[in-house]
Amino acid sequence: MRNETAPTGVATRVVAAEYFTHGDDGVHLRITECRNCSSRWFPPGAICSRCAGTNLTDVNSGTTGVAYASTVVRVGPPGFPAPYVLSYVDIDGVRVLAHTEGDSALTPDTPVALTLGEVGNEDGTPLVSYVARAISDGVGIQTEGDR
Amino acid sequence: MNNVYIAGAAVHPFGKHKTLSAATLGVSAAAALLADTGVTPDAIQAGFVGSVYGGSLIAQRILQRVGVSGQPVFTVENACASGGSAANLAWQGVAAGVYDCVLVVGVENLSAFGGGTLPLTTADIEIDQGVVMPATYAMRAQRYLHETGATVADLTNVAVKNRSNGALNPRAHLRKAVTAEEVEASRPVADPFNLFHCCPNSDGAAAVLLCSEAFAKQLGRPTARIRASVVRSGQFHTSYRDMTWPDITDRTASAAYEMSGIAPADLDLVELHDAFAIAEFLHAEALGLTERGKAYRAVADGEFAIGGRVAVSPSGGLLSRGHPVGATGVTQLAEAYWQLIGTAGDIQVPNAQVALTHTTGGGIFGVDNGACSIHILTAED
Ligand SMILES: [Zn+2]
Repeated sequence: MRNETAPTGVATRVVAAEYFTHGDDGVHLRITECRNCSSRWFPPGAICSRCAGTNLTDVNSGTTGVAYASTVVRVGPPGFPAPYVLSYVDIDGVRVLAHTEGDSALTPDTPVALTLGEVGNEDGTPLVSYVARAISDGVGIQTEGDR
Repeated sequence: MNNVYIAGAAVHPFGKHKTLSAATLGVSAAAALLADTGVTPDAIQAGFVGSVYGGSLIAQRILQRVGVSGQPVFTVENACASGGSAANLAWQGVAAGVYDCVLVVGVENLSAFGGGTLPLTTADIEIDQGVVMPATYAMRAQRYLHETGATVADLTNVAVKNRSNGALNPRAHLRKAVTAEEVEASRPVADPFNLFHCCPNSDGAAAVLLCSEAFAKQLGRPTARIRASVVRSGQFHTSYRDMTWPDITDRTASAAYEMSGIAPADLDLVELHDAFAIAEFLHAEALGLTERGKAYRAVADGEFAIGGRVAVSPSGGLLSRGHPVGATGVTQLAEAYWQLIGTAGDIQVPNAQVALTHTTGGGIFGVDNGACSIHILTAED
């Protein structure tokens, strides 16, 4: 986690800050790919969890994926005021659990874009991280990010 | 390998036992088992105790209070499969001829943690994002419904069936049958689950006695034979995963069927890990009880009822019996034992000859489940 100050002056805490970058086009996940067995890993790591190889390369994901499944959590843990929507998002060879904009579950296979958004609130400090947003009519579709 | 038998079982009834520690619950079950079987503590050659939240040396803290003191004892932690894993280790010891008589206990007190969803103590990237166990299973449910055409009413059928079974089980936590209307009216937890689609957090303990053929003959008690005992761990990856197919159950079951020479069609009853209603569909299919994508129809058609084609969770399952995590695998063995020796009372499956018990669980990211255990047991003539 990383403490930051948003442009609005509000102090925020970034969840999983070391695992993604974000720019004007949205959020890119930091994936690692094994040069030995081609497995892809998120969060990134220094050792391949399939072949134990250490020859890995960094890949930045694109900013769009597909929701595999989704739910509205009605009873959450501390720091995550319910209700909130979670989705499993398939993106460039990895599946990531992400908070999701809106107040209902996404239909499976809904295309989504990853953006930065609020995911929780810890004692008054907003928690921000990557967040999935449904893409309608293909707006916001990006190509796969730089390799 | 030597034949291994269950020759006795005892359960401290599941429920909310706020004033009883995990150790106290475990002592209760272990003492009842020794009293019932007449086995003296010095005859116990080893002890295995499954527990997740019981703390360090829970095996010693239970077993030494019933005279099993000095022998090798082990605390076994494998999330929801802790009790099943403890039984597997005990089985290995008897099958290998190292021991003739081993005590297995499963125990948990969850009331110590207050209400709500279980504490996830294994920090990972999904817990950091606010995941809870019901959410993961809710997403599996959403995808299953999406792919098969099943509906929330089908999930509700599982809760109604298993609560109806559990209402007749004096050891169950929730002993009141529920209607479909009551399930649908219960508090929403994670769409599409309401509270009654989820198992309760329970406290309780169970104990079984595993022994060799020679010991069983000398003891002269009713026995059930363990035909297969298998544990598998989840296969870790962070890529796309078919969450409608629990591969850990598939792999564990395949090994158990191969070990026993028993096929899914031979089973009279299955105690299945229905922590959430969707789990009965997912695991029934992976256990081979029905064709893939058809388990919801089997439930709707009564095939999994007591008296149906194969009784699934006649004891009430986790949905009704409750889920004191580490105790679940051992209590399933106890329930299967009583079914096979014909003393299951109001929940007796007619002419039960072959039983399978299944626990799987562990909320860590990157795997289907952390651990799965399966036992297959048969009645003795
Ligand atoms: Zn590799």
